[in-house]
Amino acid sequence: MSIAAINEQLLRSIGVGVAIARRSDLRMIFHNQAFSEWFGEAGGEAALSDVLPDLDLAAVSQAVDEAGRYTGEISIKPKRRILVIALSISSATVEDERLFIVECQNITRIRELESMIDSYSTMVERNTRELEREKERVERLLLNLMPRSVYEEFKTFGVVTPQLYKDVSVVMLDFVDFTKFAAESDPTITLGELNDIFTAFDRISEQYGCERIKTIGDAYLAVAGMPEPSHDHARAVANCAVRFIRYLERRNQSHPHKWLARIGLGTGAAVGSVVGIQKYVYDVFGPAVNMAARLQVFAEPMTVVAPDDMKEALVEEFHLDDLGRHDIRGIGEMRLMRVGAGIELARKSRQF
Amino acid sequence: MAKTLFEKYGGFKSVSRIVMSFYEKVLDSDQIGDYFEDIDMSRLIDHQTKFISTIMGGPASYTDDRLQKMHEHLKLSHADFDEMAALLRETLTEYGMDRADVDHIIREVEARRGPILSAGRP
Repeated sequence: MSIAAINEQLLRSIGVGVAIARRSDLRMIFHNQAFSEWFGEAGGEAALSDVLPDLDLAAVSQAVDEAGRYTGEISIKPKRRILVIALSISSATVEDERLFIVECQNITRIRELESMIDSYSTMVERNTRELEREKERVERLLLNLMPRSVYEEFKTFGVVTPQLYKDVSVVMLDFVDFTKFAAESDPTITLGELNDIFTAFDRISEQYGCERIKTIGDAYLAVAGMPEPSHDHARAVANCAVRFIRYLERRNQSHPHKWLARIGLGTGAAVGSVVGIQKYVYDVFGPAVNMAARLQVFAEPMTVVAPDDMKEALVEEFHLDDLGRHDIRGIGEMRLMRVGAGIELARKSRQF
Repeated sequence: MAKTLFEKYGGFKSVSRIVMSFYEKVLDSDQIGDYFEDIDMSRLIDHQTKFISTIMGGPASYTDDRLQKMHEHLKLSHADFDEMAALLRETLTEYGMDRADVDHIIREVEARRGPILSAGRP
């Protein structure tokens, strides 16, 4: 077999469709099997324009002249299935006859796979977005149960190590006669009001550098100096305390139910940790917390009571009244003082 | 949590192969091939990828409502549905799935007969 014959045999049998047409009259002088399978058996010397009616011949000529090659795609539908064929047309000159050489490849499968990948990635992306939203929701929920820094530790290590904070301050607030009010009123109203008030307290706490730990019924507990240590934790809780009182005073002026609260401040050590394995709650324990709880009971309605130890930290900013020495259950005898708004805050209160 | 068939058979890797051969069988079928005559190829593949993923417990969810909306204009018959299920069974078996898993998937498909044929002939 001659080289030319082998070449022709090769051209006939490969999976790439090949056709050669004269440029002058577009008559095809050769096409292989793959070509005729896609575009039909072209009898005699059929014209390229008849076999590929969708082909823009002007564009082909221009591209071939300018770039040496035309590339494009055409869709055909021999049976039910649409085939996508990639065309590549170049030119050649043989014995002064200018020719178009048409190569065709079936890229249907590639297109189908591309569609499938598109479809699948859309699905996966949507799922990812949903998971992301879900994660944010869970994070928001957990942030209600524990301070952010504790949450970060929990997220990274899966556990929260109990931490002792030597120097923190605590503010504990409790409402006077809440049980009576709750018994006499519609529970939804009680809870609605409590919700309003605690929401306002949360804002005040945040603004003055305290962290709300929990509410137990009508009691509200916030701390300063943990989990982020801070040197002015005493001032932070005192600032919150006097503003809680002021908020209630203002609120009582325009609401039928007059909420009266007692506030105790405590200072000293406390331990903070997540308690529970399934039902996490971040909680604080320790002398500072006990002290605030005891002193709160001791406070007259709408006043704030603090240990004398906090005097140094508060004396400049607040109005302090000595309450003398008292025996506090579980703590022993200690000197107490009442904390009120300082001159500056009192003056502002009168303005608004 | 139990592994879904989607995970068991290797996720998208297997879904893509199943979809490809199911796609060809469906187009070659004289019973139902004509329904796909004029449908855009990428839409058909999109539909089948999501459908196969859904019934294998993958990350797509086709609600019955959507299935109904997509099929109601075709007015499919029970024979059409049976052919589709048979082709799917053939595809999955060829793919080498366990008999029990194929049965499970076909039951999943069967459960959607109602919505798919909602507007169809009896």
